[in-house]
Amino acid sequence: MVVDGLTPGRVEKPSTAGEVAGLLREAAEAGQAIVPVGGGRALGLGDPLERFDAALEMRALNRVIEMSQADMTVSVEAGVTVEELNTELASVGQFVPIDPFNAPGHTVGGVLAAGLSGPLRMRYGLPREFVIGLRVALPDGRLASSGGRVVKNVSGYDLNKLHQGALGSMGVIVAASFKVFPRPLHEVTLEATTQDGWGEAERALALPMPPVALELTSEGRLLTRLAGTQEAVRRMARELGWGEARDDVWSEHSRRGGSAWARVSVPPSRLREIVGRFRGNGHWWASPGVGVAHWVGDIDAEAVRLVRRAAEQAGGALVLLAAPVDLKRQVGTWGTPPSTLRWMSNLRDVFDPKRTLSPGRYLT
Amino acid sequence: MALPASVIKELVRIVGEPQVVHSPNDLRIFERDGSITGAIPDAIVLPADRDQVVDVVKVAAKNRISIVPRGAGTGLSGGAITLRGGIALQLTRMRRIVEIDPVARTATVEPGVVNADLQQAVGRHGLFYAPDPSSQKACTIGGNAAENSGGPHCLYYGVTTNHVIGLEVVFADGSVAWLGGDAPDRVGLDLLGVMVGSEGTLGTITQIKVKLLRLPEAVVTLMAAFPTVDTASHAVSDVIGHGIVPAALEMMDRVTIGAVEAHYHAGYPVDAGAVLLVEVDGLRESCAELAGAIERILRTNEATGLRVAADAEERELLWAGRKGAIGALGRIRPNYYLHDGVVPRTRLPDVLRRVTEIGGHYRLPVANVFHAGDGNLHPNILFDLRDDGVMDQVEKAGEEMLYAVVELGGTLSGEHGIGIEKNAFMPWIYGPDDLDAMRRVKRVFDPTGQLNPGKIFPDPERQPTTLRARAGFCAEAQWW
Repeated sequence: MVVDGLTPGRVEKPSTAGEVAGLLREAAEAGQAIVPVGGGRALGLGDPLERFDAALEMRALNRVIEMSQADMTVSVEAGVTVEELNTELASVGQFVPIDPFNAPGHTVGGVLAAGLSGPLRMRYGLPREFVIGLRVALPDGRLASSGGRVVKNVSGYDLNKLHQGALGSMGVIVAASFKVFPRPLHEVTLEATTQDGWGEAERALALPMPPVALELTSEGRLLTRLAGTQEAVRRMARELGWGEARDDVWSEHSRRGGSAWARVSVPPSRLREIVGRFRGNGHWWASPGVGVAHWVGDIDAEAVRLVRRAAEQAGGALVLLAAPVDLKRQVGTWGTPPSTLRWMSNLRDVFDPKRTLSPGRYLT
Repeated sequence: MALPASVIKELVRIVGEPQVVHSPNDLRIFERDGSITGAIPDAIVLPADRDQVVDVVKVAAKNRISIVPRGAGTGLSGGAITLRGGIALQLTRMRRIVEIDPVARTATVEPGVVNADLQQAVGRHGLFYAPDPSSQKACTIGGNAAENSGGPHCLYYGVTTNHVIGLEVVFADGSVAWLGGDAPDRVGLDLLGVMVGSEGTLGTITQIKVKLLRLPEAVVTLMAAFPTVDTASHAVSDVIGHGIVPAALEMMDRVTIGAVEAHYHAGYPVDAGAVLLVEVDGLRESCAELAGAIERILRTNEATGLRVAADAEERELLWAGRKGAIGALGRIRPNYYLHDGVVPRTRLPDVLRRVTEIGGHYRLPVANVFHAGDGNLHPNILFDLRDDGVMDQVEKAGEEMLYAVVELGGTLSGEHGIGIEKNAFMPWIYGPDDLDAMRRVKRVFDPTGQLNPGKIFPDPERQPTTLRARAGFCAEAQWW
């Protein structure tokens, strides 16, 4: 296991939440740095580590704790992969709409911590919209739960939100509960290749029943997924007039990623203009309805600075999901920190006072 | 405790003479919200804009006076009660709809904008704002964000936290920041997500940016009667078990139906044990197909008297009955105590049975009107405040009902918040380590404890009256 050129002094493989908490406490007491690792699919995200004493492999926390078909909730340990979770749920006609890129192999804990998303975000939002409970191991050895197993909950602070996208800087997610969704009654995937990708995308987004996913690539290829009742899907497919695609195009699409990989997130109305600034030999794919574009390939510091400036001026951000260490050192992973950085740093200080968790990697 | 004259003077300088209320008689007006307890503030301050909020908060910080933000005062868990005195920061003068962007489908509003007024304004653009609390004719968007409010249509669309994309917040030290915004994937911690539902204990919300949705092409509303609450509950699970998540799925029991029908004459079947109100929306084709499927499922679950609202007027009437149900209950007893709890959907029959038993035990009528699809129950304990010692009985009954909810794997609140109503019960669901994590967040944002003190966390000065031994049950911490 190598992260940004650093190899850990040791690799821990806990199999229970209690062990995770214990390892964190020991590391904190010894002043060591520990990096949680799920499927290892998002290790490229984050600034270079300051220290790396131990890797915390989470794959052995792989229990499905509870799956309640009728309640439409599921609770799993963090080391379960997204594919394993959805295979379980598929057996009862349900799913969680988590479909990150650089798949397969993301663990539930990893994808939540890294704040990754995919095409289905257009309809279902980020996991934050359907994570209903979390259990987190803290560097002082405590295990803290937030939320619960019900689909509606305003009992105290929603600390589920605090850990998603925090890249393990506030604690290590050891288990999560989700509100799940029924498999659509009817579904179809359509595609088109056109000179006017953005125009066609706009047309799809304006449908009276918008697609659940819509992707556009630098090759001018459009992919969309329509879901609903049979008649409704038929009518939308007719109005759109694209051709039917093979079933496996989504899993193929989800394998995209790269060793130099930037994610641009801007208000959807600004996406086309920002993507227009990508240059060089790289290629890209985007969710025009969400305002996210992924750019891989020939990305250098100057290109990142240029696009990042434009994205930030549009109120958005450019984050490096993976990059050579040199590039990270030149331009940084996260870009200009938000004006609320002080609150974020203060929060980190009370949860991880000795900077035990992946020090240097997150923006706090 | 009256505030020092110097403080009053400073407050008057900020907001103007008529906007500071501090005479003992006037203060009484703000003693209550929608909950069953109250406390009199030391002063009421009505700022006109964000800058005035900042200045008031700074004065409060300097003088160690607590701040309790307040919207329409419709909250049901005591979130707007000035438990420790201090300033009630009444935000209803800040009621501008700052911007509606029909292209991006967002709206930016001040906290005092009434939910129904926002609905009306965005409706003109063919859009709607999904969270629709039953009190939407009065409650404010600021209050909705602070309490993470729900409503009937949250079954499909989600609650307030799923629709707020930005908040302008005045922190305890008077600093201001925008959390969230238009772009997805904000860099840094999700402070927005933590702020929504924090009940005014982490900051004061001075602007809210929300997502809007396109009004659906078609809406179909069905009403069906069932012999019992049990059969209706099974029908609910069956609909959802078929992979159908309607826009709304609401239940009313016999007690509620009687009161609502007497008041609204909406054609509710008064002899039914329970009524379900089901709504689907979307494309015309979807609605027809879904409504047909739902009808079939309901019929196999002993539904009778199935009725589809023929037009918008009839639909409005059916919904008026549902949303006005609480008021109609006044026909049975003059006072009510509306509780809020959530169980996993399949436990609805169990928990409603327990609720009925508890009501029977205390000889208090209970009316149930709630968001069945979410498992979010709302038992209304009906009583007459003039009856000797009745309040004590009502509180005990409510406490036992909540405990039943927790025992069945549920939680203390689905949409009303914890406030001072349920803070003593927090240890039923959360263990010391869970609560400690929440306290750390509180300490970061409000180190001196001046923002809405005494809320959410168990208060050592206010122990629960009964069932004390049950503290420490901490269901959530232990079940994993």
